Amino acid sequence: MKKVIIQISLAVILFFALWFSLAQVNWVKIFDVEKNIDKTEQKLGNLFWKFFKNSEKENTNIQTTKTIDSIVNHLCNANKIDRKKIKVHILLKDEINAFALPNGHLIIYSGLVLNADSQEELAGVICHEIAHIELKHVMRKLIRETGISLLISITTGNGNLEVIKETAKLLSSAAFSRELEKEADMKAVDYLLNAKVNPAPFADFLYKLSEINPTIPEYLTWVSSHPESKERAKYVVEYSKQKDADYKTIISTKSWEELKNNLKE
Amino acid sequence: MIHIKKFTYLPGEHELEAASNSYLMSLLAIIVGLPLPIVNLIATFIFYLGNRKSSYFVRWHCTQALLSQLSLLVMNSYAFWWTVSIFFEDQTITNNYIAYIIVAIVFNLIEFITTIYIAVNTRKGIHVEWWLYGTLTNLICKKRI
Repeated sequence: MKKVIIQISLAVILFFALWFSLAQVNWVKIFDVEKNIDKTEQKLGNLFWKFFKNSEKENTNIQTTKTIDSIVNHLCNANKIDRKKIKVHILLKDEINAFALPNGHLIIYSGLVLNADSQEELAGVICHEIAHIELKHVMRKLIRETGISLLISITTGNGNLEVIKETAKLLSSAAFSRELEKEADMKAVDYLLNAKVNPAPFADFLYKLSEINPTIPEYLTWVSSHPESKERAKYVVEYSKQKDADYKTIISTKSWEELKNNLKE
Repeated sequence: MIHIKKFTYLPGEHELEAASNSYLMSLLAIIVGLPLPIVNLIATFIFYLGNRKSSYFVRWHCTQALLSQLSLLVMNSYAFWWTVSIFFEDQTITNNYIAYIIVAIVFNLIEFITTIYIAVNTRKGIHVEWWLYGTLTNLICKKRI
């Protein structure tokens, strides 16, 4: 019996010693795991963006693009986020929605801009989506919902249009987990404060949208895909109260009005 | 790793064949059942059940084959579910994971080669005891009086 115990112990020690020693090697670097994942993310991002580009109408007004870019540039610079990584696209659609795609694509629907009462509200939503990108939530959500095997099959060209359509729908209208949403909200408040933008309107926006009883629910996708908006508004206010800052506007009131007018046309 | 020993009696031809088959059974099941780690264990277990009333020599080798598959099951199941969680959940590929897979492959290869070696030798009438599994088998499998 003693012999068996010694042999079992030796086998277990050998196994764990071998595992522990091999784990010291940077296999992730050797096998270029990160690079391969980045490549997959890049392919997926382009594929999904192409899908939205083909199915929706993209904004062509240069002034609108410039104004939105000014807001995004300011937020990125203040938070040391590589601006080139965030690819902003404005789509002309009544839906109140904005969402992130893999590889830093950020889609903003004109409906969202038109329903925002101030630039701070829009900046809050943009920050929330940038937070999802920066915190790598998008790929995590995709892998969790669809599985990496399906994603690989899409990038290698084996995914049919229906699969791409369903996955794109998932990205544009399904929420992240409550925990990831909260993380993105908190990060968004940090981004806003670093950019000297008042986070209170972002909370107001959440609260305001949760109060609307939508007759056409699909127009309120951002809210319906982000449940517990009231609760979120509360913790955004609580969190931002703890931090003091001098607030400034990113663009002039005139530019903000022009942006809305351009999108209305 | 392995010890060639003298068995308590000289087994007959049909015993050598049945005992050798217990190892071959697990090998065949590995090939058929990959990547599901449970298949080889089930196959070996069924073979074990079918031979549990056989002679001491056959029972002894069936038990040794079963024990070797049992330890593989634990290791491979962990590797299998870890891989599944990477493919279907949001787990990431880490150095720990790759190291574990390498260790699992090494242990599986050693087991595979050793199993072939023992199957061939058992068929020739040479009684081979595996390190650890042989000792365990001697504890579990007793000669009927």
